[in-house]
Amino acid sequence: MSNSKQPANVPCRIFAIGVGLMLASFALCAEPYLPTLDSTVLERLPLQANNQSASALNQLRTTVRERPADAEAAAQLAELYFDTAMATGDPRYAGYARAVVAGYPLALTPALLLQRGMLQQYQHNFEAALKDFEDALAQDPQLAAAHAWRGAIYLVQANYKAADAECAALLRMERRALWGACKGLVQAYGGQLDAAYATLAQALPGSQQPGNRLWLLTRMAEVSAWKQQPTQAEEHYRAALALGIDDSYLLAAWSDFLLDQKRYQEVAERLAKWEASDPLLLRLALAQRLLGLPEAGRSAQLLGDRFAAATLRGDTTHRAEEARYQLYLRQNAKEAQRLAALNFAVQREPRDARILLEAAIATGDLAAAQPARDWLQSSGFEDARLHKLAQQTGKLAKP
Amino acid sequence: MKWMRILCALLMVICAPAWAHKASDSYLTLQIEGSKVSGHWDIALRDIDFAIGLDANGDGNITWGEVKARHTEIAAWALSSLNVQRGGDCSLQVTEQLVDEHTDGHYSVLRLQGQCPQTYGGVDINYRLLFNIDALHRGLLQLQLDGRTQTSIFGPDTAQQHFASESPSLLQQIRHYVVEGIWHIWIGLDHILFLLALLLPAVLVRTGKRWVGVGRLREAMKEVLWVVTSFTAAHSITLSLAALGWISLPSRLVESSIAISVVLAAANNLWPVVVGRRWMVAFGFGLIHGFGFASVLADLGLPKDALAISLLGFNVGVELGQLVIVAAFLPVAFTLRHLPLYRVGVFMGGSGITMLVAFIWFLERAFNLRILGF
Repeated sequence: MSNSKQPANVPCRIFAIGVGLMLASFALCAEPYLPTLDSTVLERLPLQANNQSASALNQLRTTVRERPADAEAAAQLAELYFDTAMATGDPRYAGYARAVVAGYPLALTPALLLQRGMLQQYQHNFEAALKDFEDALAQDPQLAAAHAWRGAIYLVQANYKAADAECAALLRMERRALWGACKGLVQAYGGQLDAAYATLAQALPGSQQPGNRLWLLTRMAEVSAWKQQPTQAEEHYRAALALGIDDSYLLAAWSDFLLDQKRYQEVAERLAKWEASDPLLLRLALAQRLLGLPEAGRSAQLLGDRFAAATLRGDTTHRAEEARYQLYLRQNAKEAQRLAALNFAVQREPRDARILLEAAIATGDLAAAQPARDWLQSSGFEDARLHKLAQQTGKLAKP
Repeated sequence: MKWMRILCALLMVICAPAWAHKASDSYLTLQIEGSKVSGHWDIALRDIDFAIGLDANGDGNITWGEVKARHTEIAAWALSSLNVQRGGDCSLQVTEQLVDEHTDGHYSVLRLQGQCPQTYGGVDINYRLLFNIDALHRGLLQLQLDGRTQTSIFGPDTAQQHFASESPSLLQQIRHYVVEGIWHIWIGLDHILFLLALLLPAVLVRTGKRWVGVGRLREAMKEVLWVVTSFTAAHSITLSLAALGWISLPSRLVESSIAISVVLAAANNLWPVVVGRRWMVAFGFGLIHGFGFASVLADLGLPKDALAISLLGFNVGVELGQLVIVAAFLPVAFTLRHLPLYRVGVFMGGSGITMLVAFIWFLERAFNLRILGF
């Protein structure tokens, strides 16, 4: 009863509780503590021991432990771990895979060299990766995957001539699907979007493996978007998503597409359960911010903590994402430009050029944008959006 | 009660952020101050589970009970992959295990404590945790070495690292040992009581069967000087011999003998046997006390490159500590020397209590008992 007489006190009390809560939570969260209850769940493991895929993994792990010189088992286990890392975006599995290869006691077989090369590539150690693929091919010239991966690295490095040579090797081996994915991207990055789309589309029917189909469909969607055909792009993205395979690259690309289409709500919904992955949390935070949702601040904070943690361990693989975080979530254009420039020195794909241009426009620093403009010029890449950005940076030169 | 539930729910939201997918890191924080090591080591529960298994019932949840049950194994596993060296291997042990949160989930926090063989010089750390099963694991070190903070990252290719210490100047080192010397005479109650037992009669003279106060301060000072100097000379000799490793006596024998020396020195005040030449008593038993100081110095560790100077520093410290005690004692005792309070209460009573306490020490030390607790 007395409460109804003093309505003004209620918000006050809530505020006081809120402040107390914050302090309590800092004390509770920041300091090491002793849990009081034995039944308190501290951690939920990503794979439960009685889960089917986990038991297959454990079985393989046991085999490798008991027969350390079994190259086939080691390669299988490393591949399984790496696939899990790619599907979930959880880098711990990449570390497990790397340790499996490192623990192999004899000279590495082509399959193990291939695994190590993929893992080097994952860590952006491109030169070491190229060396592993070369060694693998020296032992087994028919190892198509090594050519495909080498092609992918050359593409990232914007070395289209070398990438094209890898595609040609795949064609000689008559690996049409791998060749299509390789050649299609060489054409796309080289400024022939129509030809690129045709090449990728041609490879699709011959490719039965769901993983390969997902890859082709994702890249076809990207090419369509660059061609200013959003309806077609969406169709391909949806077909790729319909395969029902978890793939963080696909989700990131689809989210970027939706963000460009100003369909923020869909991004927020789709990525709600993907906070664990840094690249996807970035897209989620961007969408939340553009929607004006209260969670935006928390997501940005979370992301900041994670970039800080990555910096602490010397991890530089997510600099492109960190640049976007700095530019759009922290409004720190200078830092964004610094990160984008560092990233562009290592990776030169369209999205890398885009964040560099966007950051340079924000800082008004033409010189910083130059590497991206040079790349756009020399590659002949056609995306209208990127050309518009490049023009904007061009105007910076004329005061 | 409803608001309690709301509070808890809110706390959950604030406290339990979405865990990141993050490569594995452990956070190792070490303070190395002289030969003392302390710190804590945060290791992800997920990593511990992957290495040695925590989820006992296989339900995919790691509970506090499951972690607690494996504390011994967790400590043994972690310590088996970390070596800290300063002039040799430092002993390390886990004193406590707590829980903390990082961006990717809950971590076990291992509180560490240890002791190095040397008090100065660079530190070598070898870190191998998880590298055999997770090649992307990194150990993030924050090291505070003699007050200066350094950070570093351990990886499979950088498992062994050296950390230079701004090695203290010779003067700082001497000062360190002087301070330790002062400190150890002050906290060594047996040494103080022995000295006091010999000093209490310094302001008195025995005439016939009675004690009376000395006439002049000079006389008292002369007596004090003889006693203190001979005690110092004696324990310096044995301290040096023991510290240099030339003589080594079992510590139980040394500690029991020290207790006996206190008993005898105090008894001599109540039933005088040696009256005129107390400096000889001080010298004889001083030899025993020197061995006691040596064990303290052994725990402290002597630098090999500045052995003599550190030994000297420690000795000087002990003397300074003694001088302070004498300086506090003498004026008071001299002032009170004619009063029965001093002769009966302080001199006789004090000697009696000292004798009793020292005798109990003797029993404790000789027969490994625990009676007094100090």
